[in-house]
Amino acid sequence: MDDWLVAIIKVVGIWVWVLLIAVVMTWVERRGAGLIQDRPGPNRAGPWGLFQPLADGIKLFTKEEIIPTKAQKFLYIIGPALFSLPAFSAYAVVPFGDKIILGGKEIILQVSDVNIGFLYILAIGSMAVYGVILGGWGSTNKYSILGGLRSTAQMVSYEVALGLALLAVVFVYGTFSLRDMSLAQQGTFLGFLPNWGIFKQPLGFILFIVAAYAEANRVPFDLPEAESEIVSGYHTEYGSMRLGLYLFGEYVNLVTISGVIVALYFGSWHLPYIDLGAYLGPISWGIVSFCIFFLKVSFFLWLFVWVRWTLPRFRYDQVMGLGWRGLIPLALFNIFITALFIQLTV
Amino acid sequence: MNQNLTPQTGHGTGDYVTVNIGPSHPAMHGTLRVIALTDGESLIKAEPEIGYLHRGVEKLGENLSYHQFIPITDRLNYCSAIPNNVSYEMAVEKLMGLEVPEKAQLIRVIMMELARIADHQVCVGILGVDLGAFTPFFYLIIQREEIYEIFEWFNGARLTNTFGRIGGVDADLPDDFEERWNELKPNVRKANEETEKLLTHNRIWMDRTIGVSAFSAEDALNWGFTGPCLRACGVKRDLRKDEPYCMYDKFDFEVPVGKNGDVFDRYIVRMIEMEQSIKIIDQAYKLYKEMPADAPLMARVPKVIKPPAGEVYSALESPNGELGFFIKSDGSANPYRIRIRPPCYMIYQAFPELVKGELIADLVACLSSLNVIAGELDR
Amino acid sequence: MAKPVVKKEYTLTERIYLWEILKGMKLTWGHFWFNFKACWRPGPHTIPTCWQYPEDRTREISPVFRGEHYLQRDDKGREVCIACGMCAKICPAKCITVKKGKREEGEEDKYASKTYPASFQIDLLRCIFCGFCEETCPKNAIVLGREFELARFSKEECILDKRKLLLNYRKAKEEGKLKPPKKRVPVVPAPPKPEKAEGGEIKKSKAAAPGKALKKPVEKVKSTEQVEATQNKEAAEKEK
Repeated sequence: MDDWLVAIIKVVGIWVWVLLIAVVMTWVERRGAGLIQDRPGPNRAGPWGLFQPLADGIKLFTKEEIIPTKAQKFLYIIGPALFSLPAFSAYAVVPFGDKIILGGKEIILQVSDVNIGFLYILAIGSMAVYGVILGGWGSTNKYSILGGLRSTAQMVSYEVALGLALLAVVFVYGTFSLRDMSLAQQGTFLGFLPNWGIFKQPLGFILFIVAAYAEANRVPFDLPEAESEIVSGYHTEYGSMRLGLYLFGEYVNLVTISGVIVALYFGSWHLPYIDLGAYLGPISWGIVSFCIFFLKVSFFLWLFVWVRWTLPRFRYDQVMGLGWRGLIPLALFNIFITALFIQLTV
Repeated sequence: MNQNLTPQTGHGTGDYVTVNIGPSHPAMHGTLRVIALTDGESLIKAEPEIGYLHRGVEKLGENLSYHQFIPITDRLNYCSAIPNNVSYEMAVEKLMGLEVPEKAQLIRVIMMELARIADHQVCVGILGVDLGAFTPFFYLIIQREEIYEIFEWFNGARLTNTFGRIGGVDADLPDDFEERWNELKPNVRKANEETEKLLTHNRIWMDRTIGVSAFSAEDALNWGFTGPCLRACGVKRDLRKDEPYCMYDKFDFEVPVGKNGDVFDRYIVRMIEMEQSIKIIDQAYKLYKEMPADAPLMARVPKVIKPPAGEVYSALESPNGELGFFIKSDGSANPYRIRIRPPCYMIYQAFPELVKGELIADLVACLSSLNVIAGELDR
Repeated sequence: MAKPVVKKEYTLTERIYLWEILKGMKLTWGHFWFNFKACWRPGPHTIPTCWQYPEDRTREISPVFRGEHYLQRDDKGREVCIACGMCAKICPAKCITVKKGKREEGEEDKYASKTYPASFQIDLLRCIFCGFCEETCPKNAIVLGREFELARFSKEECILDKRKLLLNYRKAKEEGKLKPPKKRVPVVPAPPKPEKAEGGEIKKSKAAAPGKALKKPVEKVKSTEQVEATQNKEAAEKEK
């Protein structure tokens, strides 16, 4: 019974938390863009414009829902749902802190510590492409179809690079569970570096982050919704909350990806050189570890914004070229090196 | 990864899709329309359709007096109204055989070069926006606003300046021009530098622009290219150097030329031209200061302008290229016929040639690098 | 007609993407940090390059700005316009209509000259703010002021009649936004009758050719101090 209750609290808690971050992210994105571009950005609604996402949400909810006459209704309607559902469910296996001991009961700060968490993320992540392609197809709009096709090709290609980059991580840690990987990153590496994944897998990290940007359809890989070419790609025909789901799902994806990056490469809830868990009580350590994890996640969320407003966009063939001829050979090379290293040292 | 992955066009099954880009589309500057026949992502054919912003400017000119036409010329290339004004005024002056005082000519040069900087800033900025780089646009546009500030303090308008009058200029430079210019100059340079830092050596940008819609010098000449687009192809043609007007022969500046005539070269040519314009303004202002304070700014012009019957063509180097006015006068107070030769009309003709075999994304890049302004194109 | 093939030659730093990207990110971070610090400054005008328009009106508008029109009065508060119709004639947009009225006996304190505009209309919906009316006016009566907020709720409000134009004048005067007298543009002097027109004489006299000049010189150039003085006087009279 207790387990059930804890599980439900964790599920609801993390769901609300991710949602909240995504909401704030829409504001951060716009404010950040503004400040990078020498203008304030949305600053009218509430203090520092913080209520702007709220106002946008109200607007999106109350707008009339229009289904284009020639759209394929069923596909058009389930498109956004199929996009946002995997986005929300992917976070289930990503940790958000170490553990907390309440009433003598050890609760790990992760919705569920599945031992194939890794594969779960990859599987769920690739589901999102259905939402995009079905939405694009169901709209019966040429721009949408182009956007959907671009997105599909891009996601399928970069999934390979993503998977291969992750494979090297699995080699290093010898496990599929994200919690075990996080735990393994305590201490130091080579005596002076924090024992973080990035120092063991520098190339893998770059490959992963590039592939992750492509997976999330973020600049410089935002061609599925390239505004200046195909209006807004697969969601050209969408309005009201359906559009909201697409936009929102994107930010939720970002949160998940940032969580995975932190958990795999940036030492999860560990601080470099110091093991706070040894000094703090079980409850306070739980909270502190959550905060550390969140701070690291927010850095990567900011990185998404920062990169977006710095770079131009790739072209379709260049994205494919980079994916198949750049990332995948490099990822294979990375695997080879990692395997060799492990073979020689262990 | 150097090899181009562009699929060869025309190898498909023949099931092509017509994609209609514009007239209201985020990538179209103003109301341009391109009907593109596509095979997946690659273009089989792209056909521009013009005339969505046709206002009958030339016909309007026939019903207005010579002076009244000046504000209309503002509305041709609305990114840089001043060269349009001056070009028209020069045509009328040529028709009347007027000698414009030197000081007025210097003011014209200063203002035209400022407008050239503003125009190039918009063009480069928009090119960035169309290729997904939003930020340089803002860095440039902020400096453009400062240039507009100078225009505002000159004669009260920012965008549609109605600069100059037939036979001279309508006002002297504002007293604090030097101050403003000295403040503006480093800022413009800094904005350009930042743009270059963000774009020029960025591999993504290079991939997107180098070799895209490349054009040979011979083709460019055949199609009637002028301005930065022609110079990007490697032809050293600049009316300021070749047929100097407004004392341009007294200034020391370089005419940048490209090599391939692709989007990248057009971008680089524009960036260098901005720097050269700054140089010209400095020199012109130095000459201007040497003039006596009460030197005339207007030639002696009759109150009602009735040029002798005859026809004239006069052109200058506007930011986009050769902007010419043909005026036929029958001796009355209204021109008998006005014909405008807008640079981007000629350049836009070659658009189907330019984007042949490229991808949809390149179409957008090509269009913004040509700096096609609908107001000038459709008139 | 074959398109030239361009060979792409990249240096190593360009080839690997990341170096230039990091440089770009450093630049954008510089802007972000600068503006982030500026954000905390008090007042609506925080980021130096951005004016928060309705609240922040600190941006200086040029005194020669061509905005909403007003009709000038002279120092005695009389209307200056003589309804000659020059403005209506020069207007490229044909947005001005003037009707002439004859000054009656005892109206000398209302109108400065013998004729006055019985009605004077400017259609703001047609006006292109080129400033030709202002330039051609022999009495400097019509002026394009500094008012730039031209949004109206109805079409009728967009047609400025004489009352509104005079009200605009009062508003501009109260706010101290009267246009300073325009600097006259020196014209090439008329060549002396015998053929002897050399460049050396250009500087000699510039007031010689007002009659033939395209630009009618401003009727009587007052220095700003004088204008202010008259304004003060008028204000004092009003108080009485």
